[in-house]
Amino acid sequence: MTFIIQQTIVYAVPLMIVALAGVYAERSGIINLALEGIMIFGAFCGVMFVNIMQGQQWVLNAFAQKQYGLLQLVEILAMLTAAILGAVFSLLLSFASINLRADQTIGGTALNLLAPALVLFLVRLLTAQNTLFMSTGDAASWFMLKKTTFGFDKDAELSFIGNTFLHKVYLANYLCILIFIILSIILYKTRFGLRLRSCGENPQAANSLGINVIKMRYAGTTISGALAGMGGFVYALAAANCSSNGDVAGFGFLALAVMIFGNWNPLTIAGASFLFGLFKCISAGYSSIDINMDGVYLLREIGVSPHVYRMLPYVITLIVLAFTSKNSRAPKAEGIPYDKSMR
Amino acid sequence: MKKFLAVILSVAMVIALAACGKTATTNSGAKTEYKTADDVPDSMTSKDGKYEVSFVTDVGQLKDKSFNQGTYDGVKLNAAQNGRSYKYYQPANGDQATDDDRYDAMKAAAEAGAKVIVCAGFMQGTALEKAAKEFPEVKFVFIDGWSLGLPNVAGICFKEEQCGYFAGYAAVKEGYTNLGFCGGGGGTNPACCRYGYGFAQGAEAAAKELGKTVNLNYSWAYGASFSASMELQTMAEGWYQNGTEVIFACGGSMFSSIAAAASANDKYVIGVDSDQSFDSDTVITSALKGVGEAAAWAVAKAYDGTWDEIGNNAVSLGAADGATGLPTATWKLKNYKVEDYQKQLADVVSGKLVIDDNYENLKSSENLNLIIVE
Repeated sequence: MTFIIQQTIVYAVPLMIVALAGVYAERSGIINLALEGIMIFGAFCGVMFVNIMQGQQWVLNAFAQKQYGLLQLVEILAMLTAAILGAVFSLLLSFASINLRADQTIGGTALNLLAPALVLFLVRLLTAQNTLFMSTGDAASWFMLKKTTFGFDKDAELSFIGNTFLHKVYLANYLCILIFIILSIILYKTRFGLRLRSCGENPQAANSLGINVIKMRYAGTTISGALAGMGGFVYALAAANCSSNGDVAGFGFLALAVMIFGNWNPLTIAGASFLFGLFKCISAGYSSIDINMDGVYLLREIGVSPHVYRMLPYVITLIVLAFTSKNSRAPKAEGIPYDKSMR
Repeated sequence: MKKFLAVILSVAMVIALAACGKTATTNSGAKTEYKTADDVPDSMTSKDGKYEVSFVTDVGQLKDKSFNQGTYDGVKLNAAQNGRSYKYYQPANGDQATDDDRYDAMKAAAEAGAKVIVCAGFMQGTALEKAAKEFPEVKFVFIDGWSLGLPNVAGICFKEEQCGYFAGYAAVKEGYTNLGFCGGGGGTNPACCRYGYGFAQGAEAAAKELGKTVNLNYSWAYGASFSASMELQTMAEGWYQNGTEVIFACGGSMFSSIAAAASANDKYVIGVDSDQSFDSDTVITSALKGVGEAAAWAVAKAYDGTWDEIGNNAVSLGAADGATGLPTATWKLKNYKVEDYQKQLADVVSGKLVIDDNYENLKSSENLNLIIVE
């Protein structure tokens, strides 16, 4: 059970935060197809930051003396770096689609093509290899929270809750969930959120009431870029041993699907990400899943071909989409460049 | 503003390009003293623009800290010590490289003046045959390969079952009874199959001596392209959480995912091909195969006139040639001693202990509970 919950979180969190990135952009009226590209770029920036910090003496000392607080600080700073540079990267899309009124899907696709190439180029330039790893050690020994981090003995028995949520987890995942909640509230319960959403529904009307549509759309896309960049780093940290190779296994596109699946609504998006994460976890780890903890690995012994488990996440997505897409409603003005004269 | 931007961009480009060109220049012909492969740069610029000794990588990256890197270390060290120009080629399209991509890399190497081309990995067979027929004057060394019936191709393969056996035996003697094996190539790579089968036999033999039963999770899943992946990490994580103590990570970059899961669970990994204890604290030992030494040995034969001994032929190197074993310099095991290992090694060298290499025979026994995870 602990295994399923922990692994589901690992898969679900990047999806969830990047899908919210998509929501912020689309609610402001810009289709952000570039989520994948920004994730790749953000992952690279975060991993690069960790690499640079590992060259600093105080960080190495902190690791040697097991000052976990400082290491967590490095992790948070890396998330921030990824977010900031992701936001900067997304400005390319904002500029093309807001100021130049270019086609947003093409702009996004351009970033998706640019990011992996750029990252691979930089990685090869910096390290003469295809993957940028941490300069020493691995993600788990540097950044993972374990029993021992909290001062418990290595063999101490924690309760189920403690074992699941405090042992072998990354702070980054919890921070992302927190940010997800805060930003969802902002989108629905504040003046800023309302204005942002109005720009995605009817920008002409919003403008007539004195809202600066250009500014709002920039805000939406920039927040989107920051979230996607951060999501990219969180993916790299928890799922790829803090390495970057110009690839995030299609998580940006999956997040787009999750966003549509979740009907541009944060609550349903969270549900959809956890559903998808759960099935991804089952497909990869079916052989070790012991649901009622009786030592019988039911999914392995039931005799179903593992290919069926591997298809499950996608099959489930298709089925749910088939039933829910009828009610799916995209922001009305998304994808249409704002033109004052159309008022 | 626009002009300013253009200037900035062009400056950035010049800097980037200048950084690209920053490779070592070695005087062709002059012998240079290099002791270890780490001192030799991966790329160099030769004066006449020709590169005599070339290396074509297998799937996965050059710096995989394993197969590709180990082979290239041998190639470049040998070339640098003898003052020969050297260069590596990575077939296009990475993990999805086709025979055409591999052939293109070999052709590029041959056209750049290569006299010897070392090709790593059994997947190069088809491309190699085509290239070797087209460039009969170029000598090809086929690592993990077989004889192609061409005088300019030397196949070199290894008795991986031996080092797999040593590793499995050592792990069980050390006291571990729940083992795992994650192999690359999806079960179609003969070298990886031999590793896995040897590992199982070694574990079984040690378990028999100790009167124990050993559980072995055995999987080819998520290893087809020899690369790290989130799914592989999840699978390894699940194994470790359910009691597996040590996993034999047998496939280049797959190591990264398995080591990450091991580190999260304070469990252990056995490395492959090269001594991987430098890459992660979780590594207790590595199943070594001397790819670098073998490549250097074959390249040397191409120059000293003894090529005919290995050309049009396939040699299989094992413990007797010093090509398989465990790293004794970085020994970490406590209950299983170096001396015990050396005794066993001597038995294999003398032929007293013969390890079966027919991996079709892999099966459970009373001392080995084999759990195959697809």
